[in-house]
Amino acid sequence: MLALIYFIILGVIAVGSALCVLLSRHPLYGALSLVVSMVSLAGIYGLLGSPFVGVVQIMVYAGAIMMLLTFVIMVLNGARDSKTPMFDKVSLFVFPAILLLAALLGFALISTPLAFNAETLRGSVALTSETLFNTNNKGPGYFLLFEVIGLLLLSAMIAAVLLAKKNLGSKETEEITEVH
Amino acid sequence: MELQASYIQIVALALFTIGLAVTLTRRNVFFVLMGIELALNAVNLSLIGFAKTLPAAASVAGQILPLFTIAVAAAEACVGLAMIILIFKSQESVDIDNYSNMKG
Repeated sequence: MLALIYFIILGVIAVGSALCVLLSRHPLYGALSLVVSMVSLAGIYGLLGSPFVGVVQIMVYAGAIMMLLTFVIMVLNGARDSKTPMFDKVSLFVFPAILLLAALLGFALISTPLAFNAETLRGSVALTSETLFNTNNKGPGYFLLFEVIGLLLLSAMIAAVLLAKKNLGSKETEEITEVH
Repeated sequence: MELQASYIQIVALALFTIGLAVTLTRRNVFFVLMGIELALNAVNLSLIGFAKTLPAAASVAGQILPLFTIAVAAAEACVGLAMIILIFKSQESVDIDNYSNMKG
């Protein structure tokens, strides 16, 4: 009973702040309400019994990714063109299509029998690390995926630095390096 | 009244729908990125909710997969924001309808 009350509170906060993202005009307000939505989702993860994913959600999503997003919004001054309308004319057709998709999926979800399993393990730090770094031959082999994720993040970081930098080897950059 | 497994899926469906609507209908490019992040979050919630309906050994997989999803989302946001900075330098606009150099 108590779990249901907590879930309703957190779910209403998550969906409500997601609606704020849809309806807010300035991207900074949208980013801040997205942070609220992500923190309440982390609360739901903790409620469902996977606290490690909840902590990672707060640290990586609400901390790192949204910090990067708000930083870029503030640097680029995205409020500069407040004259363009929020929605396209095409969205007159897009909204009913999305609502139809949601209705279909919701019907399929409600008609599917789902129940919590009592034997489910709690995703604590110890269990998660044991499974993730199980280098046993017959283990699940998640550690290989972990290494690949490291390579992916490194290449994404290099790509971002190269993209956002001014043109490499152009005259302008050479002048800057000469001045310093 | 106890917490049912399908309630979690319904909340995840609502979040995914809102994220899809933000991505497809908003014109500001930052909102498009935020909608993608919202939809990814909804998928994570759905994965955890389904993991709780599985027996012991299988339920751990559903709680590890969101970690990888979060890492991939971090890489996606990193590269996406760098591309936005690059496009903004040449176009001076965040309106996604102006980004039509490729005549798509």
